[in-house]
Amino acid sequence: MTEHPMPFDHEPDRELGAALRRALQPSAHEAFVARVVARAAAAPRGSWDVLAGWAGRGIAAALLVVAGAGFAAGRALKPAAAAPIEEALITGSADSGTAATAVVRGSRPPDASIVFASLRP
Amino acid sequence: MPRDTQPRAGGARIEQRDEAELVARSLAGDRSAFGTLVDRYAEQARRVARAVLRDPDDADDAAQDAFLSALVKLEQYDPRRPFGPWLMRIVANAATDRRRRRSVRSAEPLDPGVVGGGPRPDTAAERSALSERLRQALAELPERRRLAVVLFDVEGYSHAEIAAMLKIPEGTVRSEVFHARRKLRTLLEDWREPS
Repeated sequence: MTEHPMPFDHEPDRELGAALRRALQPSAHEAFVARVVARAAAAPRGSWDVLAGWAGRGIAAALLVVAGAGFAAGRALKPAAAAPIEEALITGSADSGTAATAVVRGSRPPDASIVFASLRP
Repeated sequence: MPRDTQPRAGGARIEQRDEAELVARSLAGDRSAFGTLVDRYAEQARRVARAVLRDPDDADDAAQDAFLSALVKLEQYDPRRPFGPWLMRIVANAATDRRRRRSVRSAEPLDPGVVGGGPRPDTAAERSALSERLRQALAELPERRRLAVVLFDVEGYSHAEIAAMLKIPEGTVRSEVFHARRKLRTLLEDWREPS
């Protein structure tokens, strides 16, 4: 211990420090470390980290699956391409039902000249 | 690091170049890296906690809480700075919080002869008895004073580091260390002198 310590020493007091260290020295170091590490492994954060890691990969995989399934379903459910209205009108002249269906279901108006040409007097 | 190599033993700073890596590995889920940090700082954390909480079991619980809290806050740690002061701040807070929660418990009355030195044992248990008296004398100090002197004289942190840990001005740290030393040195001097 410093014999005549300055009021505000800048250096630690080695003797006092050593005495205090002995006074406060804990025991069973390994047991304490093992306990803390075990608690950390079981802590919510640890679990959350793992789950978060899994969740990230899981969500990405799920999005891929959903996208693929949606694409496949869309292709499967897509109605067969309708025959062009004009073709239906021409070939359907013998079958007015086919021509009428093509006109009704068509997404665009038919060519007027073909419509008129398909009309029979 | 060997367990007996303390981070601030003798006031010397440990090599901290790998601590940022240990923290990074801990964040990545490497429990052995976190275990290394716990092993390295366990004794220091327990001593600091014990400076606040007299009961060793309470102190260990506080130190454990601090390590777990540090693990949760690990992303907030700045790897460019030393790990010890950051961790000890958490330890001091954890111990203080625990002490406040337990403040309903009445403090044990201090033996009036403790600070003045009392009878000087001349047995092999002298050192143990001195330790007990020091612990009791330490308990007589205000909490901030206890922490300041332990962090400075035992753990070797600088006034500036302690000021940052305790969120007080550096001059206040110097004052706290001075007043704590004055009381504790008296005890040591009395102990050293023949009765």
